[in-house]
Amino acid sequence: MFFYAARRFGLALLILFVAVTVMFLMIRAVPGDPVQIMLGPRATPELQARLTAELALDQPIIKQLMIFYGNMLQGDLGIDVFSGRSVTTIVFQQLPHTLWLIFASITWSASLGIALGAYAAAHPNTAIDRAAAAVSVSFVAAPAFVVALLSLLIFAVHLQWFPAIGAGEGFWDRLNHLVLPAFAIGLSWVGYIARLVRASMLEVMGESHVRTARAFGLSERRIVLIYALRIAILPVVTVIGVGMGFLLSSAVFAEIVFARPGLGKLVIDSITTRNYPIVMGSVLISTGLFVISTALADLINAWLDPRARAAR
Amino acid sequence: MKIEWTRAAVGRRKFLKGATALGAAAALPAGMGSRAFAAADGVLRVRTYGDAQNMDPAHSVGVVEEEVHASIYNKLIQYKPGKEWDWQLDAAAMIEQASPTHLKFALRDDIGFTNGFGAMTADDVKFSFERIVAEATESPNKPDMGPLSHVEVTGEREGTIVLKEPFAPLWSIALPYITGNIVSKAAVEAAGGRIGADPVAESGPYLRDSWSPKEKTVLKRNPDWKGDTPAWDTIEVYPIDDENTAEIAFEAGELDFTRVAVGSVARYRDSVPNGGTLLEYPSLYYTWLGMNLDHPKLQNKKLRQAIQHAIDVPSIMEAAYYGAAQPSTGIIAPGLIGNRAKSLVPPAADFEKAAALLAESGEANVTLKLDTLNKTTFTTAAQVIQATLSQIGITVEINVLESGAFWASADNEDLQLVLNRYSMTPDPYYATSWFTTEQVGHWNWEQHSNAEFDQIHQAAFKESDLAKRDAMYQKAQDLMEESGAYRFLTHGATPVVHSAAVLPALRPDGQALLRYFGKA
Repeated sequence: MFFYAARRFGLALLILFVAVTVMFLMIRAVPGDPVQIMLGPRATPELQARLTAELALDQPIIKQLMIFYGNMLQGDLGIDVFSGRSVTTIVFQQLPHTLWLIFASITWSASLGIALGAYAAAHPNTAIDRAAAAVSVSFVAAPAFVVALLSLLIFAVHLQWFPAIGAGEGFWDRLNHLVLPAFAIGLSWVGYIARLVRASMLEVMGESHVRTARAFGLSERRIVLIYALRIAILPVVTVIGVGMGFLLSSAVFAEIVFARPGLGKLVIDSITTRNYPIVMGSVLISTGLFVISTALADLINAWLDPRARAAR
Repeated sequence: MKIEWTRAAVGRRKFLKGATALGAAAALPAGMGSRAFAAADGVLRVRTYGDAQNMDPAHSVGVVEEEVHASIYNKLIQYKPGKEWDWQLDAAAMIEQASPTHLKFALRDDIGFTNGFGAMTADDVKFSFERIVAEATESPNKPDMGPLSHVEVTGEREGTIVLKEPFAPLWSIALPYITGNIVSKAAVEAAGGRIGADPVAESGPYLRDSWSPKEKTVLKRNPDWKGDTPAWDTIEVYPIDDENTAEIAFEAGELDFTRVAVGSVARYRDSVPNGGTLLEYPSLYYTWLGMNLDHPKLQNKKLRQAIQHAIDVPSIMEAAYYGAAQPSTGIIAPGLIGNRAKSLVPPAADFEKAAALLAESGEANVTLKLDTLNKTTFTTAAQVIQATLSQIGITVEINVLESGAFWASADNEDLQLVLNRYSMTPDPYYATSWFTTEQVGHWNWEQHSNAEFDQIHQAAFKESDLAKRDAMYQKAQDLMEESGAYRFLTHGATPVVHSAAVLPALRPDGQALLRYFGKA
């Protein structure tokens, strides 16, 4: 397990390096003089020249990349051009908002999705199964931004149950502010996970150990919840790991629609203003999160299912 | 393979019980049970389109930061809320134009800075103004201070602002806007000469209590403020870029004041939710179609004039601005010195004249590229332009660009037509400054170069006779239009909504003056 974990995290570092390098090159390929865009129309030539030098934009791109990695290894992600604050501070100030949103979304969608999928698999080809299938597919098909806007109009404007904007202060208020955005970006995952769990459960329910359990006279509920679900849930762990990446991108629009702080909003604003240090800092952290979450999902999978470990 | 048959620690019932309890806990105490409405708790909640992240007036990037700066700092004079451009005394007890280049002022004796930096003195005024123009400060706002020479301190609270040459915008931009904010000399010097994300000393009716980046700025009433007591104990400023989100938040009762989209004006004219009110102000910004005079395809003046006459501005107002904005006559908005009563080319298209001009030009099979921002208003306007130009046989290919790429158009050698919009301050000097020969290659994307225009720009900001100044700027706009490089479209609109609890205080262009906001 140790060597497997070491190998997996080595791969994660390689992926991180490639992803961040690609992003670094892409952001520099975007048209427009970043210094002119950052400083606006009235910046003095001296200020423009100073910022160009500070950001090393007058250096060859390979050297810029080396400078970026050199600084990064020393924990220095640079300084925000507008506020003069450290990029590390800014990014880590926004990160918890995004993490909470992703965590809330994945928690509720996985809980409901697993329950729905397991229940449908336990009652295959019944009206309940067909209803669950219809609901699941509807959830998957519902565009998240439409869900976001409709939920805002219904639950924030009309019923006024939940707040429409912001992230809140204090635990309960923050939780309250999470309800609508987490609902919006988690809804399609409910359907997806439900379909996945159902398919996986049906496969497991046909296996010999389940037939043996039945032969021993165990109750159907016990067989489904204890013996079948434990194995059927394994693909969900992997999917949740990959889902972190998708949820990170979904968080971008949720943060805009719900006017929440977070990494996604930070990146969008920073790309628009060509604020390179913030863009790269945010990309580094969000890519790192994605790579780590997929690696962790693989490790958990391997820990839960020795077959996965042996297959590698 | 060995499968260990162990019982899960959390059973279905336990899980369901836990999940239900958690859901109920999340919903009831903070959600359905205790929803606070804006203004009901003595807090004014307003929206701006961006985050105020720099508290240094010398490095302010515009309106967003000025809204906070104007609340936590003082100026000699402030804009007066209302429909006409005017100013009122703020930190100054007296200010007068002693000569075209000298302004005398005397400060009030009851304004102090926080953090123990003492009373506001004329030294602070001198420091604040002179650091804007000092090379070392590298302030992008330096042009607003124009030909400031220095400030003479003649007493503890008295001084004279000395200009190198007359500068009319001093009263309309320099003193009542960004560069007019007075900071504490001692505090800024103690901070190393530069203010960052946090103010080092404040003096206004409000103090910045907290700033949560990308979330909100909280202003609290300054307990030591001796001027007129501000109406609100707390002002929360929310940076929300998307107007639709802001409208939803307003309708949900979470905002008391926000600008709304022009597309929503018709809906709000019928009814504003929660007993609110819609206010429609004209904007100072100006939008126009520019033609690159250096591009080989646009060398023929008759062709450019044909384009001017073939663009139907009223159609653009209906389609892109939903009838909430009016056609403009130039780059200087109504209410400002230099506004023209009408443009040389009428707003409505004259297709016969346009076709005749095109025939005179001798150009055939004309295909032009039109660059525009990726905002709905602009893409819609571009589509209308495309449709109307097609009526005289000119084909337009629309090139939609994201803001970063768009604002780098000075580097685009193939720029042909461009649908553009510039921001504006309440003085015509600011508008003409972008179309001079000096700006070619920077922000003068039409490459417009006219010696008479340049001369007017240089002379008009020194002119103190209002009638003469007015005529000069009108002539400058005539020259722009005669070049065939410009089709003026609109100044847009600033529609805002406010809740029933609020008495907004706005500049004539609809920008908020938060310190003067009242309670209904």
